[in-house]
Amino acid sequence: MWRLKKVCHKAGRHAGSQEELRLRRREKERALRQARRDSQLVSKRLLLNEDEEQDSMEITPGEQDVVRLLQQLQHSGTEKEAHLGALSKALRSPSAQLAFIKLENSMHLLVSLLTGSDARRRLLAVRCLHELSHSRHASVASAFLPATPYLLTYLSGQSTKFTELCLYTLGNVCPDGEAVKERLLAQGIIPALASCMQNQRHSLAVVEAAGFALFQLLQTKDAAQKVIPMVLASDLPSLLLSVLTPDPEFGLAPAAECAWCLHSLTSSTEDHRVLLAQGALRKCSSLLVSLGGAVGDGNTEQGVELLVCPLLRCVGNLLPSCPVEALSAQLGDVHLVAPLCQLVFAFLQPLPALAREAAWVLNNLTAHCTESCAALLTFNLVPRLVELLPFSQGINTMVLRVLANVAHKKKEFCTRLAELGLLSAITATLKMANQDMVTLSLELLFMMIVSSPQIAEQFVRQGGLSVLEAIQYNSEGEVRRRAAYLLEQHILS
Amino acid sequence: MLQPDLLQFTAAGGGGGGGGGRAHHSSEEDGFSEATEEQQEERSGQAEQRNPFTFCPQLLRLHRDHELFEDGDVLRHMYLQDLLISEAEERPAPRVSEFACHISGCRAVFSTLDEYEHHYNSLHRHVCCSCRRSLPSARLLDIHIQEWHDSLFTILAQKQDMYLCLVEGCGQKFRTSQQRKDHLIRVHKYPPDFRFDKSRKEKGDARSEQKADATMEAAGDVCRSEGACRVMCSVEPEQLEEEEESMETHVSSEEAARIEDVSASPQTSETNSGALKPKYSYRVPKTVCFGHGSVRGFRGHRGKRK
Repeated sequence: MWRLKKVCHKAGRHAGSQEELRLRRREKERALRQARRDSQLVSKRLLLNEDEEQDSMEITPGEQDVVRLLQQLQHSGTEKEAHLGALSKALRSPSAQLAFIKLENSMHLLVSLLTGSDARRRLLAVRCLHELSHSRHASVASAFLPATPYLLTYLSGQSTKFTELCLYTLGNVCPDGEAVKERLLAQGIIPALASCMQNQRHSLAVVEAAGFALFQLLQTKDAAQKVIPMVLASDLPSLLLSVLTPDPEFGLAPAAECAWCLHSLTSSTEDHRVLLAQGALRKCSSLLVSLGGAVGDGNTEQGVELLVCPLLRCVGNLLPSCPVEALSAQLGDVHLVAPLCQLVFAFLQPLPALAREAAWVLNNLTAHCTESCAALLTFNLVPRLVELLPFSQGINTMVLRVLANVAHKKKEFCTRLAELGLLSAITATLKMANQDMVTLSLELLFMMIVSSPQIAEQFVRQGGLSVLEAIQYNSEGEVRRRAAYLLEQHILS
Repeated sequence: MLQPDLLQFTAAGGGGGGGGGRAHHSSEEDGFSEATEEQQEERSGQAEQRNPFTFCPQLLRLHRDHELFEDGDVLRHMYLQDLLISEAEERPAPRVSEFACHISGCRAVFSTLDEYEHHYNSLHRHVCCSCRRSLPSARLLDIHIQEWHDSLFTILAQKQDMYLCLVEGCGQKFRTSQQRKDHLIRVHKYPPDFRFDKSRKEKGDARSEQKADATMEAAGDVCRSEGACRVMCSVEPEQLEEEEESMETHVSSEEAARIEDVSASPQTSETNSGALKPKYSYRVPKTVCFGHGSVRGFRGHRGKRK
């Protein structure tokens, strides 16, 4: 379920503990960054009942409760449902989870309830399993193995709520080690996910859940060799792409999950023929275009960045796989340049990381495509790009690359860039601490100066000589050589 | 990966470059627009001036573990774990690049362009090639070079008034630097303890910036004295070398290779005692040091932390 709004409301309600919340969030963020650096970034989702509030602070049921509940379950007749409900709440606690699986026949009981003839009990049993799936303990993961074939089977069922729970449960256990993953692959999780998405494509919640499960599967170790070929061979790529429609009715969440799957696919391998053949570049681009417009107008839902981010990455990684000649065929009538720039400008303040990623895509788009470079000039986007040059953390270096791509194409482009004030911007960027900025600035300056003597004169008039002279004392030899060459061969001669 | 495109740079001759997207032909080569880079160099006869510019538009593939993706991935997982809110206050503002002084050895870093300009213009614009001292203006640099590094000057100064008043527009000349100093104090109201009005023999501390001109500058380097010191101290090479190593260099080693080789004459030692250290303009606030003190002012100052 799309719970962003719920989380926000909750944060607003508990005003007193907002500071705690913020601290906790910051700690979590740090932990996530470290986990990513250790290649151990895995998350699990917890699906709440609609009437429930998530409050992990209030978990109190202990191990004793679990023991008691299990016994009650084993012996009671008509009150199984009540006990199951209580058990699922109890299983939210990590220690209770561990205790539960250690009890004899505990999983066996749950599985039998899961597969029994009582629909209500099935639902409650799967909820218990879902709680269990949240555990990070290896022993819990391996205890799941008896349940997986049934969870997979139920994916082709028709009950949306039930299917949703099965999907999230599967998604949670996927990354829990090789044994579980191998078992799931052997039991046909990929075709099961494909037919589930196909059959239940009208249900937002199920599509989102399936996307999540697939995403988790794609995060497993060696996914590039073991999982991705099977995924590409299935119907999943076209199904994922079909969800990427700008239809506002369909909702952000399923599209986001599918886009993240596509990102995993495009960023783990370099062979994108299957995806390109199915129009991945066009679909992702056209959605980006409509999102770019909406973001530019300030007209978007909360959380749109969670969709924009993976789309940017897909386009960014698909572009190098598409030869320039085929680019217009692939993109069709999709004009990406202006929306990409809109995204860069719009995300600069709230999310500089996304601005950087959008600038990266712009680099890939303009690298070998003269039309895109021309579009930057035609739509008068260059002055605003130049305004981005102060911003570090990869933004200005990428923007400078884009401008260098433009200059590289034609002398006329250099002249236009000079008219738009790029020379004075370069005299500033040449003084930056970041050596990449200095080197790129010199390269760009070189291209512009070589294109026309007027530009050299303009540069000198703007006081560029002293800047280049200063650079001749730079600590990097490569930088010095470039400055010296430029001075001696093209400015002073 | 795609092959880098051939150069699409349209030269006046209509032909593009022949190389694999590497160098650009300069506009001088219009008539030879089809020449390869190597031929161009042979013709211009500047084999040592290889074009160092290598930019070529590049398609960048990013693997999913790439660090550029870190922030976005963290965002995604914060969402998955229900930790995401959209309060603007939580998001950090974009960071701005710093500026840094290029001069090798000067590690000053600045957050604004103005600060950079001020630093550079103050400390690195007018640098004496011989002794690496930075002077605040071209005029003072000229005077410095003349008085300190010009043997002709020292010869002439024995017979005529050569020491020019430092105040622009005054134009008076004096036989000795002491006389000039007196003039500056009396007429132009300079304070007697003017920080940079020291003779070449007086130094604030043992560290010196003088490198190559050992014989001529030795008196100033090695002697510490308050008054005039007419004895030429012998050069102590070991001490000089130590000082060299401890010094911050203003300019690169290439520059060092170009330092003038000034021959010393026996009389120079006496006239050296009167030579003045560079002055700073009265317009500049006292907190900003010039002359040999300037190095210390910024030495160890690593600029602001990012």
